[in-house]
Formats: sequence, structure tokens, C-alpha cells
Amino acid sequence: MNHVIGISEMKVSNKPGDALVTYSLGSCVGVTLYDPIAGVGALLHSMLPLSKIDRRKAEARPFMFVDTGVTQMLQTVFDLGAQRSRLIVKVAGCASLLDDKKLFKIGERNYTVLRKILWKNNILITAEDVGGTISRTMHLYMADGRTTIKSGGNEKVLA
Amino acid sequence: MSLREVIISTTRRVPAIPTAAARVSTLLQNRDVKISTLSRAIEHDPALAANVLRMANSVYFSGPRTVGSIKEAIMRLGTSRVSGLTLASAIAPLAGVAIKGYDLKPGDLWQHSVSAAVCVDQLIETLALEAPDYTFTAALLHDIGKIVLGTFVDVDAALIMELAFKEGVSFEEAEMRVLGISHPEVGAILLESWNLPKFVVDAVRWHQQPDEYEGDTEQMIIDLVHAADALSMVGGIGTGSDGLNYRVSKLVAERLGLNNAIAETVVLKMISGLEEVKELFGEDWGR
Repeated sequence: MNHVIGISEMKVSNKPGDALVTYSLGSCVGVTLYDPIAGVGALLHSMLPLSKIDRRKAEARPFMFVDTGVTQMLQTVFDLGAQRSRLIVKVAGCASLLDDKKLFKIGERNYTVLRKILWKNNILITAEDVGGTISRTMHLYMADGRTTIKSGGNEKVLA
Repeated sequence: MSLREVIISTTRRVPAIPTAAARVSTLLQNRDVKISTLSRAIEHDPALAANVLRMANSVYFSGPRTVGSIKEAIMRLGTSRVSGLTLASAIAPLAGVAIKGYDLKPGDLWQHSVSAAVCVDQLIETLALEAPDYTFTAALLHDIGKIVLGTFVDVDAALIMELAFKEGVSFEEAEMRVLGISHPEVGAILLESWNLPKFVVDAVRWHQQPDEYEGDTEQMIIDLVHAADALSMVGGIGTGSDGLNYRVSKLVAERLGLNNAIAETVVLKMISGLEEVKELFGEDWGR
């Protein structure tokens, strides 16, 4: 079954027939986690780097923010039996406008905060497709953990 | 005939918007339009009126209270807002289809349009600006030119993409170089043919080149549409193969008093606002 993850959402699965997908990652960040032994995977689509901008919103919608979103996502996959040492982490998005003066840094900040949180959790990013000015669609196929990125009609496997 | 001329003549053949919406556009030219005149124009088309009421009743526009009639909607939300919703209702079918060239799925352009309109509201509120209400309408219509230009972008996609993503040329400039015309200009021609007021046409025409505008329309309107479009793209809402490949104007940010911290606040409010305006999307929001 195909599960669509909207902006500020996260979904988890342990069914081999599932595919998780999120459309149009602009400056937002998309993160997939996959543990091949436990057969657990998840996809997160976060919009903004830090929850301190609006704590109340973060309580209602933790996945809107990278800091609260990733933390809760990790907890969710661990609860389903995934192990830190086996996690395959893939990242996409964090694009920006043509912005020489760096007026809007949301994409860059999303990426920085994500790296920091994963670092604190002793988790490394396996593969990523971030930055630039493109909009991306990200898939995670639960059957084998394959993660693909689609942009402007081109699709590639993220490995 | 040059490609530019072919595109312009194609634009002129796009079907007109429903009569009632066209009448509302004309009324919008006069800022002191009477409530009764405007409500009669909308009610002339019952399907359109029903749609406008459905939108007006979303939490975003009217809060928890129900609006029972077009007249009440105008009294509560104002003439500009209701005119904007009427136009939204009229263009929704056009903006709701898949658009080749930009690789937009059904509903994508519509979501991008609505998110820019909601973003304009949030920019005005957050920056405490005194901007005219019809800025909402201009933001809503800013990318309408894509419905015509998409077919032409599709034919020359390889060339346009090469310029945009390999040579760092902004997407509308790449359109201009390859096709002889860009989607903001096509949009302006289309809106002119629908009799929309000049200030809306100007904002759509110049939203990607805000610093080059010289005319009577308030610069703030053009700047707001530029910034709202930029932040909707940052949010990834209804973005296609052109992605975020547009230049953001430093001067606009300076004129509006916009920086990265404020941008994050506005994006947050935009996403929250969009969740309250689901009536405009049906079931497809965020999909």
C-alpha cells in the first residue's frame, strides 16, 4: 500500500508491501530511516528547523520541526524494534531559491539542525540528495529499503 | 509568426471565465462598489455563489461562525476578499488540472496559488503592513500564465532546464530566452483579457522582476506577491520541475523588512493557515 506523508507528517511501517512517499520537498527536509533486519522504516517531512519558534505548535505538530520531528521519529522506529546500529538514514530536500545574498536560509538550517541531532544520537547519514534549486519527491519501499528521488521527471535511486 | 506571437495568440484563445466572475472583476475596478451590486453579480450564477459561500465558511476566513449568504460574506469579509474568492472559484477548474512542461500534478498549481494568497495575508499581518485587500487576489493569480505556457515549455524543456539548472539562469528568464516570453507575462495577458484590474495585472506581470517595475501600481503589492511566491516555493507547495529556481530580490526584502527569522514565522503561519482553508482543496491537501 502507498502511504502519502504530507508536510509536517511522519509515517512508519513494518509491512514489506508498503511504499512511503512524500511530494514536493522544497526547503523542507525529507528523512527516511530503515532497519533491514527488523523490517521497520519511516519517512518524515519537516518544514522548519527548530521548535522553539512556536512551542505550542510543536506539541500539536511535532513533525513540523526537524528537532522534535527527528527525535520522535527515532523513538517510533526503536519502539517497533529497529536498532540504532542498523539504521540506514537517507536525506533529501533542503533546497533554496536563487539567493546569492542568503536572505532565506530555511533549507540550509534544516540540514544543519538535522545533522546535529543525528550526531547527538550517534547516527550517520548513509546517503543524501540535498540543496540546489530543485523540488524533490522521495519514496521509501519497505520491501528492500530502496529510497528514490524524483525531480523534474527524472527518478534515481538514492544510495 | 514568431514563437512569442504564437504563444500570445494562444493565450487570447483561452476560454473566458464565467460571466459572473468577469462581472465581479469589472466591479473590482471600482473600489467603492456597493455590497448589493456585488452580491447580485455573484448570485447571478448559483453554482459559483454556492462555491464562494463554501470557501467563505472555511475557518481561515470566517472563524467558527457560519456565513449564510453572499451579502453576509461581503459584510463580514469585505468586498475585496469576496471578489478574490469569486475569482478563485472561477479559476479553480483551470488551475486544478495537470500542467505539462512544469510537471505539475492535478491540484498542484491550485495549491501553490492558494498558498501564495494565504502567505500574502500572513506577510501583511506579521510585518504590520497597510496593504490593499486585493493583494490576496494578485497572489492567487500570480502563476496563472503557466496554464498556457506549460505546453510550450514542454516542447523546449531540455533547453530551458539546461539554462535554468546548469547555467543558473532563473526559470522565467530561461523561458524568455527560449520561448520569447515568460509565464508572468503570459499570465498578465490572460488576466487583461479577463478584464482584471490593472493593479492585479501589474502584480502578476512583475512578480518575478519586482525591481524593474516602473508604473502607478503600488510597489508594495508587487513586492508582497514576489515574497509570497518565494516563501510558497520554499515551503515546496505545488512546486514542479521549475522547482525553486527563481531569484529572490534583496531590495524587496529590504523594502518589506523581511529577514530569515521573520520568513520562518511567516512560513509557519502559512502552513497553519493552509490547514484552515482545506475547503478550497477538497480531499487533496498536502498530497
